[in-house]
Amino acid sequence: MIVFNNVSKVYSNGTVALKNVTVSINQGEFVAIIGLSGAGKSTLIKLINKMISVTSGTITVNGEQVEGLRGKRLRQYRRKIGIVFQSFNLINRTTVVRNVLASRVADMNIIATLFGIYSKSDQILALEALHKVGILEKAYTRADQLSGGQQQRVALARTLAQRPSVILADEPVASLDPITANQIMKDFKRINQSENITVIANMHHVDMALKYADRVIGINKGEIVFDGPSSEVNEELLKKIYGREITDEDIMFRDQ
Amino acid sequence: MPNLKNPPLKNRERDNRIHIFESIRWYFLRNIVQTKNARKVVLSDGVSITKPYSFGLFYLLILIGLSYYFVDLIVISYFEITPFELFVKRIPNFTNIVSKMITDFNLPYLPRIIQPLIDTIQMAILGTFIGAAFALPVAFLASQNLVKSKVLTNVIKLILSFIRTIPTLVYAAILAFAFGYGTTIGVIATAIFTFGILSKMLYEVIETLDLGAFIAVESTGATKTKAFIASIIPQIMGTFVSLTLYSFEINIRASAILGYVGAGGIGILLDDHMTWREYGHLGVILALLLVVVFIIENISRYIRKKMS
Repeated sequence: MIVFNNVSKVYSNGTVALKNVTVSINQGEFVAIIGLSGAGKSTLIKLINKMISVTSGTITVNGEQVEGLRGKRLRQYRRKIGIVFQSFNLINRTTVVRNVLASRVADMNIIATLFGIYSKSDQILALEALHKVGILEKAYTRADQLSGGQQQRVALARTLAQRPSVILADEPVASLDPITANQIMKDFKRINQSENITVIANMHHVDMALKYADRVIGINKGEIVFDGPSSEVNEELLKKIYGREITDEDIMFRDQ
Repeated sequence: MPNLKNPPLKNRERDNRIHIFESIRWYFLRNIVQTKNARKVVLSDGVSITKPYSFGLFYLLILIGLSYYFVDLIVISYFEITPFELFVKRIPNFTNIVSKMITDFNLPYLPRIIQPLIDTIQMAILGTFIGAAFALPVAFLASQNLVKSKVLTNVIKLILSFIRTIPTLVYAAILAFAFGYGTTIGVIATAIFTFGILSKMLYEVIETLDLGAFIAVESTGATKTKAFIASIIPQIMGTFVSLTLYSFEINIRASAILGYVGAGGIGILLDDHMTWREYGHLGVILALLLVVVFIIENISRYIRKKMS
């Protein structure tokens, strides 16, 4: 369970990214965060992993207070939280399976890391993760030879091999075409349901958010203006979240 | 006010140098003295923007000044210190040595230089290997994009540039004074040199890398060192091996003369025969070196080509 208690974040340049955010997310939920760019979506995600620290308030994840974490304890905490990035962030010049195994190095000793000696169980874990996202046959291909959608699947598999309790996704499908984007979102949904992993995704496209997430959090200028099941979201609410009419740009499939 | 509209015409009676000087002076006056009007660009709707000053001209002037100085130096030394006739007169000395190398070519001597040659090559290989092994972690510490502390990266960069200013031969000479003669100091000297250049070339490669993968691995809870090993090293491995081979080529050539200062290998023999004017022996050594360096460079180039 992730609990934000009165969290505010002010960047060093004075930008107020989040204002008194209080929200709690249960284990196994699929949450989409929507809002204009600059509304504070990315900040919210980054705070959970402590890529950035809160200015005030507290964040508690599975009973552990995030602000106090430092050094080894922070690294241990991060092992349970996977991140999927918009730009995939794969290691290009190496094989797919090595990319997935990269998430295992946190638990390995430095000599094994240096010589790339992965234990049998880690290798099986990595291959199973690839199988779960349906690209097992690409395991020994170089990562930069894959298409965008396949690369995002590798990134998802890398996260799965971490055995996380939470997956954070920062605009996971924004740089993909609509059809691939739908497939990737289906992968997220499937993993969310079968493994009971919490998924928190920043979504640029409203339709994708409503289609796949159980719960939607709308952010406007650093404040939560809506928090509820995605079935309750209507035109009026969207106008409130976005502060304007929904345009074609906010939707991935124009016909729907 | 000087004439700023038209550049100076080339006058037949003046020489080129004066014309160039006049032109620079004219350009300088026009662009810097007559500041605002010349630099102001007015668009069709009356909006105007002023171009900022460019320091290009300033640097160009310094460059011209410097090159003028060096040309002068060469010209003076050419005419006053070493008369040209003397140089021409001495050309036969040089050709004599070269022809003696060929006519007195002492082929039976060949087997006796094989061992020193192998020593030289081993010196270069081992030195390159040791230098490269140290270069990788230091390049990581010197990369501004991976290490937060600017002080640390800059101190390392400063030390590295200090290491690079001293040539391998000088390292070997200093080490020979301190530790005595032998191939070991040749290895250490080569290693230090390799370490210096490889670290620099590597951190420059690392600093241009996209850090996405590094951040991703770090976000799984890995330490920076582990994230570097897992995400940066695979990306730079090809370049690393290629750069290492390239420094090996340099080292092979450098290590041939390391014997001069007591570092062992074939350089000792070169020194001996030069002193005793045994040009026939010298010819054999140089011929062998030529062949070996040629072969090694080509193998190395072939591997580098295959890798990229």
